[in-house]
Amino acid sequence: MATVSVDHLSFSYTIGDEPLKPTLTDLSISFVSGGFTLLTGPSGSGKSTLLKLIAGLYPAFSGKVTAGHITLNDQLLSEISPTKRSQLVAMMFQNPNQQFAMDTVENELVFALENQQLPPVDIMPRIDRALAFLEITDLRDRVISTLSGGEKQKVALAVIVAMDTDTILLDEPFASVDPDARQLLLGKLARLQREDHKTIILADHDLEDYGNYIDQMVVINTAGTALTPLSAQEKDQRLASFSRSKTDEVRFALPDKKTPPAIQLTDLKLTAGTRTLLNQPSFVFYRDHVTLLTGPNGVGKSTLLTAIAKLHDYSGSIIVDQTEVRKSRKRIFYQELGLVFQDAEEQFLNVTVEEELALSTKNSRNADYFSAKLPDFLKQLRLDGLNDHVVYALSGGQKKKLQILEMLMMGTPILLFDEPFTGLDFTSLQQVLSLMQHVAHDCHQTYVIVSHQLYGIADLIDYHVKLKNQQLTYSEVLA
Amino acid sequence: MNPTLKFLLAVLIALEISFTSVWVINVVLAALGLIVILWHRTPWKRVGLLLLVPLIPATALAVAMLMQGRGNNNVHFAIVLFTRIYAYVFVGSAATLTTPIQTLVMSLEQNAHVPSKFAYGFLGAFNLMPKIVSEVATIRAAGQMRGQVLHFWSPQLYFKAIIASLNWSENLAEAMTSHGFVEEAPRTHLTVITTSWWDWVLIIVPLLLLQVGLFAIPLP
Amino acid sequence: MKRSNAWHLRDIILLALIAIFCGVIFWVIGPLYNILTVALTPVGLGPAANDILMGVWCMAGPLAGIIFKRVGAAFLGEFLGSVVEMFLGGQWGASTMISGVVQGVASELGFTFTGYKNFNWLGLNMSVLTTTIITFAWDMARNGYASYHFGLLIALFIIRLISMWIFGGLLSKAITNLLDRTHLLQAQTR
Repeated sequence: MATVSVDHLSFSYTIGDEPLKPTLTDLSISFVSGGFTLLTGPSGSGKSTLLKLIAGLYPAFSGKVTAGHITLNDQLLSEISPTKRSQLVAMMFQNPNQQFAMDTVENELVFALENQQLPPVDIMPRIDRALAFLEITDLRDRVISTLSGGEKQKVALAVIVAMDTDTILLDEPFASVDPDARQLLLGKLARLQREDHKTIILADHDLEDYGNYIDQMVVINTAGTALTPLSAQEKDQRLASFSRSKTDEVRFALPDKKTPPAIQLTDLKLTAGTRTLLNQPSFVFYRDHVTLLTGPNGVGKSTLLTAIAKLHDYSGSIIVDQTEVRKSRKRIFYQELGLVFQDAEEQFLNVTVEEELALSTKNSRNADYFSAKLPDFLKQLRLDGLNDHVVYALSGGQKKKLQILEMLMMGTPILLFDEPFTGLDFTSLQQVLSLMQHVAHDCHQTYVIVSHQLYGIADLIDYHVKLKNQQLTYSEVLA
Repeated sequence: MNPTLKFLLAVLIALEISFTSVWVINVVLAALGLIVILWHRTPWKRVGLLLLVPLIPATALAVAMLMQGRGNNNVHFAIVLFTRIYAYVFVGSAATLTTPIQTLVMSLEQNAHVPSKFAYGFLGAFNLMPKIVSEVATIRAAGQMRGQVLHFWSPQLYFKAIIASLNWSENLAEAMTSHGFVEEAPRTHLTVITTSWWDWVLIIVPLLLLQVGLFAIPLP
Repeated sequence: MKRSNAWHLRDIILLALIAIFCGVIFWVIGPLYNILTVALTPVGLGPAANDILMGVWCMAGPLAGIIFKRVGAAFLGEFLGSVVEMFLGGQWGASTMISGVVQGVASELGFTFTGYKNFNWLGLNMSVLTTTIITFAWDMARNGYASYHFGLLIALFIIRLISMWIFGGLLSKAITNLLDRTHLLQAQTR
């Protein structure tokens, strides 16, 4: 059992040695020792930053603590040596792709235990137990980069279990984890807490499924200036209102089979690790319509979009514009179809906002339409006056808005959107939705949108497709 | 054989044949390399590629020597250059194909005392290879979606790759630290890689034989 | 980036990633080398392909030098890239690693000659020059350049210098100009 306390902590990221605007200001809390705490709050509020501070990664890797401190079992965290600290606290990260140094599962576990200076004779027994605990003994010799998101996160937890730290921190660990793996991981975390008295702190903005597991819910506000532990009653209210607020009570039409197709899938099979994500005899996305694609995390929605966008292998057939995607010439293909990446930064090619917009204007298929409307669009999205700003230094919401705008400006006939609404506050979301609706209509575009954010977007959507049990089906209702 | 010594041997051989001109030795070295490669059950396709690909630079160098050389031994030197390429490739592959990079890095850490931060930092980056390949494809696709073709001479291609590297290096360094890695801290080793007298025999004897072949016996 | 000569885990990973990225991008153009070589071989100028593309192979060194601005960056960038290339099965086998050392030392020396005080145009140009001279000397031995006619030798040297200057010089500078404008490197001081 470990006690983690945060005492009047303030933290800023820095450029050179200059502190920027504080990310966290004067935060204090005592986490329930031996408890399971869910830390929640809007994206960009500093949840990850706080966890990395508790893990001792900050300020070692980034930024500066400008006031206050963190204690672990009443000892100042800053005074605990890094090797000792790694025996006390470990962290599991949101992005499962860059959290392993070694090639195979077993080698990563060996690496971590060697780092802890565990005597060699104890290493294999520890690994055996950790793999068995996570029920992944069969993954032992697998190359990590070939595993699915869910499998990678099981391995990440196995490493932490093998390291046997008292405190386990998890930063949005389920973002790319399929439902079965998520249930298994949550169950294992609960066992670690109950049987081994681990202190667990998990950050997430999605509150689904946590009700049965958590002892404490702590809310961080948007500005990162307050941490508020909720009472049991407030916690239950928040969990209940979360599942209600997720969707609208709307009905969608089913597509008219006579509509011309935009994307045709035949005998399409997609896999990730050992999992089959999709096995679809035939399916059509229709032209000049906006289709919403939903389904649980990790079931393959993003993979489907990347396969359609010629960025992921597939077996079977995907036809766009009468051409098999696999065989199409890139230069021509990407004039017909664009992908709005989940990570906005992937889309940018230049340095400033002005340069980004200039590139889209120059190569747009509807250059006249967009150059006439651009000032209005910028004002509508509140991106005006940012021309000489560096795109990488924009806020998360501004990046997302700029990314969507510059892709809309290309006037590409088919656009795929991978989680375009994450990190947008309510006003920004309204601005983006109205812009998308406007442009889709004026430029006769086909959109396929993958989104978790379902609230308030119904007006934009024509059809709704669910991806579940490796199948795509049109559905009249959300949820 | 100890991985560090094995690579040292391969590099020393390659270095020495770079400065000597005995084509028979080059052929013998290439043949020995090929035997090691075949002994390790390398897939035939791979062996075929190893035989074919060097043909291009080897022929180019030989032909250039025949046509552009200014000495009187052009034919001899052309044969030397041709066989030298094959000796490089097969001696090199005999080392790389029989040693996983993981093992080499562990040996460099334990036997050659390369600081562990270099050993594991490099290894961590190396293991991101599949992501790196797909990131290059993604960057180029992002360009094409905006009507911009990125070539290997386009600064933006490297610029975007470096930005990805900045993000990934931070993520990976934090993850490795969270997995207990501390620069300069001692580590235990599950697999201890030893250097026995036999390893020294395996490096010294071939090198001695090479000197005999190159300098003591008059070979063409 | 803050002037500090210590290499930390994060820097090493970053440097290795940049080197591997360069390697992967060059690997994509591998066929270009073979096509050029095949096209030039009938006239006896096959090795010129090597000189034409030398700037591309040796770009990681000068680039790493002006990104990291510290002792050893150019050497490590070039050397790590060659180790990766060797394991990917580059067609030069074990000599790749030796070339990596030669090229690494060569591009590092340019910055050494400025006393590690100039990581701008001067350092870059010095690095381009030392890389050209030293790698050329190495090819005199390894690839038998020493036996070519004097005229051809001069031509190959000039081709190599131009190639080095375009990729190691101009392109590296263009890349770091983009990076500097983002201020992302200044944010990474540790």
